[in-house]
Amino acid sequence: MAIERILKDDASEEKGERARMASFVGAIAITDLVKTTLGPKGMDKILQSTGRGQAVTVTNDGATILKSLHIDNPAAKVLIDISKVQDDEVGDGTTSVVVLAGELLREAEKLVAAKIHPMTIISGYRMAAECARNALLQRVVDNKENAEKFKLDLMKIAMTTLSSKILSQDKVHFAQLAVDAVMRLKGSTNLEAIQIIKKPGGSLKDSFLDEGFILDKKIGLGQPKRIENAKILVANTAMDTDKVKIYGARVRVDSMSKVAEIEGAEKEKMREKVQKIIAHGINCFVNRQLIYNFPEELFADAGILAIEHADFDGIERLALVTGGEIASTFDNPESVKLGHCKLIEEIMIGEDKLIHFSGVEMGQACTIVLRGASHHVLDEAERSLHDALCVLSQTVNDTRVVLGGGWPEMVMAKAVDELARQTPGKKSHAIEAFSRALVAIPTIIADNAGLDSADLVAQLRAEHHKEGCNAGIDVISGSVGDMAELGISESFKVKQAVLLSATEAAEMILRVDEIITCAPRKREDRM
Amino acid sequence: MAAVTAAQPRSSKTESYVDNKRKEDIRQANIIAARSVADAVRTSLGPKGMDKMISTANGEVIITNDGATILNKMEVLQPAAKMLVELSKSQDAAAGDGTTTVVVVAGALLKQCLSLLSHGIHPTVISDSLHKASTKAVDVLTAMAVPLELSDRESLIKSASTSLNSKVVSQYSTLLAPLAVDSVLSVVDPEKPDMVDLRDIKIVKKHGGTVDDTQLIKGLVFDKKASHAAGGPTRMENAKIAVIQFQISPPKTDIEQSIVVSDYSQMDRILKEERNYILGMIKKIKATGCNVLLIQKSILRDAVTDLSLHYLAKAKIMVIKDVERDDIEFITKTLNCLPIANIEHFRAEKLGHAELVEEVSIGDAKIVKVTGIKDMGRTTTVLVRGSNQLVIDEAERSLHDALCVVRCLVSKRFLIAGGGAPEIELSRQLGAWSKVLHGMEGYCVKSFAEALEVIPYTLAENAGLNPIAIVTELRNRHAQGEINAGINVRKGQITNILEENVVQPLLVSTSAITLATECVRMILKIDDIVNVR
Repeated sequence: MAIERILKDDASEEKGERARMASFVGAIAITDLVKTTLGPKGMDKILQSTGRGQAVTVTNDGATILKSLHIDNPAAKVLIDISKVQDDEVGDGTTSVVVLAGELLREAEKLVAAKIHPMTIISGYRMAAECARNALLQRVVDNKENAEKFKLDLMKIAMTTLSSKILSQDKVHFAQLAVDAVMRLKGSTNLEAIQIIKKPGGSLKDSFLDEGFILDKKIGLGQPKRIENAKILVANTAMDTDKVKIYGARVRVDSMSKVAEIEGAEKEKMREKVQKIIAHGINCFVNRQLIYNFPEELFADAGILAIEHADFDGIERLALVTGGEIASTFDNPESVKLGHCKLIEEIMIGEDKLIHFSGVEMGQACTIVLRGASHHVLDEAERSLHDALCVLSQTVNDTRVVLGGGWPEMVMAKAVDELARQTPGKKSHAIEAFSRALVAIPTIIADNAGLDSADLVAQLRAEHHKEGCNAGIDVISGSVGDMAELGISESFKVKQAVLLSATEAAEMILRVDEIITCAPRKREDRM
Repeated sequence: MAAVTAAQPRSSKTESYVDNKRKEDIRQANIIAARSVADAVRTSLGPKGMDKMISTANGEVIITNDGATILNKMEVLQPAAKMLVELSKSQDAAAGDGTTTVVVVAGALLKQCLSLLSHGIHPTVISDSLHKASTKAVDVLTAMAVPLELSDRESLIKSASTSLNSKVVSQYSTLLAPLAVDSVLSVVDPEKPDMVDLRDIKIVKKHGGTVDDTQLIKGLVFDKKASHAAGGPTRMENAKIAVIQFQISPPKTDIEQSIVVSDYSQMDRILKEERNYILGMIKKIKATGCNVLLIQKSILRDAVTDLSLHYLAKAKIMVIKDVERDDIEFITKTLNCLPIANIEHFRAEKLGHAELVEEVSIGDAKIVKVTGIKDMGRTTTVLVRGSNQLVIDEAERSLHDALCVVRCLVSKRFLIAGGGAPEIELSRQLGAWSKVLHGMEGYCVKSFAEALEVIPYTLAENAGLNPIAIVTELRNRHAQGEINAGINVRKGQITNILEENVVQPLLVSTSAITLATECVRMILKIDDIVNVR
């Protein structure tokens, strides 16, 4: 009796075979869920929020789908985590990584059933992963030296990434946008400098890239709508009143004129503050907080453009791109760094008026304005574009490029198969299984496109038996095609991250032989 | 080369076994839900379309014919149905009119998709073909369009009245159409001729009278009374108007304050000081020659007190209080003046000038009109009248649509025939095009072409005509090269619709087609609904 009570009530423990089973089932269920979104003809999912408002998201992005799921299976959570990491690290391939990990586990399950010890499988997988990576490394193309060619590579990568997204129809347009934006960054991976503004209306084709920065705010009344050679002060300060912020502070007076005096003094204080701000020699003032009527008028009198109520994100970016600093005291004008830009003007996009800062200090900065039929389209377009931008900025740093369309998987599978044949012992089964898991990716791509996967993959394998072949699945025509000719490329870094993190995750889940669920923390009864 | 290899493997789709049951179910459910939304608004299409009465959760009743409004008020839950609601909102934002059309087209497309799917065509193939078809459709429409000059007021009025004809207020279209045209034309900035900001047109609704009494006012209208409290003036000629953002009331500090009164004589003194304080302010105002005050609403303290109103009345200054802060921009733009936020800044150059400011009583209510404004900004005000609130609201919505139509014409100066003529022509041309295409594409484009016939079909149906007879005759006429033949709903027959003055902006038609296709493609690509946090 005493032994049974090791764990608390509600806590549970699953051991050995059962534990492994539970994690396999969970991981494979997750894989099957996102599997259909893989590839250029992958489908979208509606995410219906059960929370208030029943918000609806339509997406094709693996990370977004997984992030929002309710999950109660520990192994499934591991998969979601790797997808998140993939999103943070390289931005794309979030679905691929989960699918590959899932397929590895599916194969492992069979091996375990055939009485092969998990540790043997793990060491086999490790060898296979190493070998696969080397095989891929040998086939990478690096166009770092040739700027022309490299730009073409970027274009291809962007198109490949976008072709599986909602933007696929206008992928040339958006690929151009993304490449231009990333080229402006000149090698930095700081995507903050690229601002994406979404405005409903128009069609996706009307989206455009604009140099500089766009702020979704209005210019104060009676102030200039256009400023050249602007000096900008970005601030976060209260422009209503400087209150004494002690609770219960109050003034006691004995006559009305005294009240008027105090009121006057308050106004005077505000005026002083405004004078101090003006003394910075600026002609544009952007504040995160409200600017009340009175200071607004003072600014208007001084011919200064004042923008109130810019959001946090907005002023931080603005400070970044104009090279200024966010100020909150104005006593030493010389120590405050002002932002500069060549031109500020009001522009109209759709039905809304926005403020455009062009010729900003930070030359890298640019804004992509997305237009589209509805919020769903815009949100999804933003996610897709973000993926493309991430991949491109990563590629700019690591210029190695591989082909796409299931080509890398086939190359790796071939090398891994070779290895399996050379390896003696039980491990070779695991290595063989690894190769099968790799082949599953082109299979799924073909399946999603409604093609005959068995036939296509067999053809593909036959093609790859030749040396130096560029064959992959051409989903558009539904046949095996030359990926180099079709211009389908992917970043090596993404592929490598997919391979390594999927193997790692599979390994981690395989090692598990016991799941202990802790008792949920009891909510205090407030009765 | 690619096309030849393409045809072969695609046919072998059924050879591999893939379990698609659940996906098909979800897609089917989505399409059916979206179509039921489309069916709900279908009957309100066209000049003889019916209206819907919506009773909202809080007991309010709305009668409308505007697709966007109906869908907006319908509380749909199904995600795909929600997308259709979004679709009509986007059309509202993009073109302002054609909100019903876009939903009906999407519904018809979905219907065709359902049958294509049941033939086993892969959704992405359908989606790609739809995209191709819609780009082609836009080309066809553009080729059909007639260019227009802004100076051609007649044509502008024609298209505005086409839009108005389908509304509740259609009998007033002769009045409202020129009004819409004039008001848009008056706010067009010659420097930026393509841009019209509809916020520069203010619509003031006032109960009483009939829609006939709706008028365009060159100037400002406030849906408020002038302050009568102390018998102040209600009519002012040669007005000098100040827009103030401060308050004419006893001073109040931002820190909490209290006045300590210790004896009786002090009380008297405080009262006197209060009076002097206000008097001082009013004297300053009077000194600039200002005789009309517009006072912004204030939440922190009273904008005016009885006392200040009394002094203002004595100084013969007309007062309009409780002006919303959001309206200040419009007012200052119209009056060509600057808002004044502090008494110290009250200077003559910040005032606006108008020939006449007067309080007019219409019905049992009163409004204040400002006319003959000197150097008036590019704004305009429309005063909408109506016998009951429902009519006024609907009139406002219709007027908004008409304004949008004119705005579309200003930004994209092309006209196209109405009355189902462009749709049937599209259907004919796309049908012909589909015969040139290979494989699945041709098949899908053909379905797209057929789906477009829903517009003339529904128009005829709603007008109580025989839809099949009308559509077939229409098709026949178009085949003979009369590209402008359309349904004349009034006469109940097919005529050259351009001669009947039924025209609409090109932008409305093209955006309806592209937006509807975009939305349908999105619905097609969905294969699962996942419940998430």
